[in-house]
Amino acid sequence: MRRSRTGTFLLAALLAILSAPASAQEKPQRIVSLNLCTDQLLLDLAGRERIASVSFLAADPEFSAVAEKARGVPANRGLAEEIVALKPDLVLAHKYAGRQAVAMLLRLGVRVVEIDLPQDLAAVMAQIAVVAEAVQEQERGRAMIAAIEQRLAALPPAAEPRLTAAIYEPSGFAFGANSLADAILRAAGYDNLAARLGVGGYARLGMENLLANPPDILVVDDTAADRRSMAQEFLDHPALRQRFAGERRVAVPRRLWICGGPSVAEAAALLAQARVQRR
Amino acid sequence: MRAMPALLLACAAFSALSLCMGPHGFAPGIVAQALAGEETGRLILIELRLPRLLLGLLVGGTLGLAGATLQGLFRNPLAEPGVIGVSGCAALGAVIAFYTGVSTMLPLGLPLGGVAGALIAIMVLLALASRDPRISTLLLAGVALSALASALTALALNLSPNPYATVEVVFWLLGSLSDRSLEHVFLALPFILAGGALMLACGRGLEALTLGEDTARSLGISIGRLRRLAVIGVAFAVGASVAVTGAIGFVGLIVPHLLRPLVDHRPAPLLLISIPGGACLTLAADIAVRLIGGEVELRLGVATALIGAPFFLYLVLNLARRAP
Repeated sequence: MRRSRTGTFLLAALLAILSAPASAQEKPQRIVSLNLCTDQLLLDLAGRERIASVSFLAADPEFSAVAEKARGVPANRGLAEEIVALKPDLVLAHKYAGRQAVAMLLRLGVRVVEIDLPQDLAAVMAQIAVVAEAVQEQERGRAMIAAIEQRLAALPPAAEPRLTAAIYEPSGFAFGANSLADAILRAAGYDNLAARLGVGGYARLGMENLLANPPDILVVDDTAADRRSMAQEFLDHPALRQRFAGERRVAVPRRLWICGGPSVAEAAALLAQARVQRR
Repeated sequence: MRAMPALLLACAAFSALSLCMGPHGFAPGIVAQALAGEETGRLILIELRLPRLLLGLLVGGTLGLAGATLQGLFRNPLAEPGVIGVSGCAALGAVIAFYTGVSTMLPLGLPLGGVAGALIAIMVLLALASRDPRISTLLLAGVALSALASALTALALNLSPNPYATVEVVFWLLGSLSDRSLEHVFLALPFILAGGALMLACGRGLEALTLGEDTARSLGISIGRLRRLAVIGVAFAVGASVAVTGAIGFVGLIVPHLLRPLVDHRPAPLLLISIPGGACLTLAADIAVRLIGGEVELRLGVATALIGAPFFLYLVLNLARRAP
């Protein structure tokens, strides 16, 4: 299933590259992005003057890896009405969000390019190529992919037996098999404990279960502590603090593993560094 | 009071069951591991299951006792912290304290927020009840207070910069004992003990009040003092409870009603016996939500409402039948 999905991505990327010359002359000039993941690629790939709007999350440093770049760019909340008013000539969207806005834009004849949730690193690279093609910045897209691949290749090699790690999210959710975070963990040289415990995608992993099967390293985002929430407070539970003390608790900001892009390599580098220190 | 030993025994049995039960089924082995000094067993037993048990006992006991106190004070068989809006307002107070960060700046900010909310609600209700003592007036005011409190709770969470706000509204409105820690127990404990003592001190006054306010006065009871004791007692105990577990409904309604025949309908022994009664019911409901399971556990307030709401309806129908 995953292979075929990756295949679809590669095919889409290939088609995108093949069809490039036809539209090469007209670069879209009023690009709107509806989703955090397309926001970040857009801000990295296209010049600021061609970006009409990005989603409100793009400027939020908890979730966005390029919050600085998003400052000053008009923000949208993905509502059909506000997007239409922007008169975009290209809209970047996510397959699972803003469906009503996308349906209306398509009816109005606006060009919409959609990306999927990447489940592995190949899908991330394919996605970058698709967005780069859509915004007519193929050269920058290729450079971005090369930089990510170079950084991943430079990671310290995994030592066998692999250490186990779990990315633990607010309220006790974890990334299991078939998720981008799982691919990042494996690239960084770990065994994903959540996947081994049967978690698929993004699902709850109870604290008791985690304590009974403790990973060598617990990865949490401790940077969002200034935003009070019970979900975040969950990660401060004394049982977790005692079990995963010192270097067994690794802080990696969640903005690095939410979306596919250069941040993926940064997350993998931070995790690999923690692995080397722990050895 | 002959029922007391049986209730205490039931509490002990439910407590043992609660400790032996994890989200993944029965595991008495954990207790043995913890006794053997093994780290995993200790963490699971002491840091996860013990706080859950202690909060079940404390909060359940509080709700039972508060229900009995309020029913005596308002001389209203349907009074209960949840039904009359005290729990809802306590949740609002705790939400404001928690999400504004007051609870991190002030060590006791969270329970104090809950106490303040509960106190305001019960003062409003008391002022209203002194003007119009009908049973329905108190309940209708409770409906209004509850609705207002839950709307303001949702609003406060919506305005907070917290991405999990919509999910967390559910905790405050329906309550839960899962994933709480000993810190929560210690936060609530002093308020619950103080409030409980104040409510128990109301026993004699509530007995006299069953004969009417004038007779109670002639028996040397100061009605004003009785009210103050009960109001502050309920506000302290219920406010602090709700601040650490969210609002758990109907326990205070069911328990005094089931136990009243066992103490010949006398308010003073009813207060005492409602404590283990409320604890038993809450622990049983908390065991039930763990048995039902699911990826994200069912909220405790859902379980208590599934039993409590039909019971409430039954009481209302009964009252209507008896009314002229």
